Amino acid sequence: MFAMVRLMVIGFFVLTVIYIVLSLYSRSVRKRKLEEWWEEEGKPGDLEDYIDNGLEDYDGSLRRKLILGVYVVPFSVMCIIIYLTNFA
Amino acid sequence: MVYLKWVFWITFWTLVVAIFHYTLPQVDIVRVTDTYEKRIDFGENSIFWANGDVGNDETVVNRDVFFIQTVRTNDRVMVYRNEDTGWGWPPYFKFDTSNLQAEAADNKSTAAAPTWVAIRHYGWRNEFMSIYPNAVGAWAVSGPDAPKGFPWLNAVIIALFLLVVLAIWRLWRRFRQGRIDPMVGGISDSFDAAGDAVSEHRSAISRWLGTWRAKK
Repeated sequence: MFAMVRLMVIGFFVLTVIYIVLSLYSRSVRKRKLEEWWEEEGKPGDLEDYIDNGLEDYDGSLRRKLILGVYVVPFSVMCIIIYLTNFA
Repeated sequence: MVYLKWVFWITFWTLVVAIFHYTLPQVDIVRVTDTYEKRIDFGENSIFWANGDVGNDETVVNRDVFFIQTVRTNDRVMVYRNEDTGWGWPPYFKFDTSNLQAEAADNKSTAAAPTWVAIRHYGWRNEFMSIYPNAVGAWAVSGPDAPKGFPWLNAVIIALFLLVVLAIWRLWRRFRQGRIDPMVGGISDSFDAAGDAVSEHRSAISRWLGTWRAKK
């Protein structure tokens, strides 16, 4: 039981670090793209407002929720390995 | 300095290859001659042994370990240990040690009437350190020439690992070209640039944290 708790705690910690880094990276990529789109659209209005609105859309987007796969994928892989090793 | 660099990288990559060779699964076609358990007092080879059965006391210093004695298709013997890896390393999540021992015992055969078995295992046999590969799966096969199948899992894991290494290497190279090389050139310029970069990152972090607060 202790070994399982240890794996879960360490795994959760490591994946959380990856999640945060990936979230920050993804957001910065979106911000850079928004700057490019603002230029392409012929600079409509204030750049800051444009970026703030764009990032607010991004916060509710599916793309951002997909980053939760950082937790989902390793956990699923673990379950598949447990099944294949012990029960298949 | 150049030699030091070479020695470092050759050592590093040898270790990486060794770890993968030890950890990734391989399949042997064997004939099981006997199964037994033996009390093991772990010494300096303890790193090459896995865990006791999941749920049992983990703090004991010695325990009985299952072994599977086999003869390979080239008539040389191989002895496998059969241990739970449980929730630890390597991540095989193997809990069915006793079942595997029962399956192996069920497939025992003699040289006169051989039953060939494929054993998936990881690890090394080394007589000088008394270490054994750990069996993770066993299934009967048609004969000594039965196909083992292409190791897709190993290929995928190694490919993913190389992709990660490539990504880190590219990040590092870009970081060095962007931050360190100019630093060597004009120290004051890059100090300003580094300051800007830090403040930009800080505002990015605070804005990202802001997304967790209630929406306006």
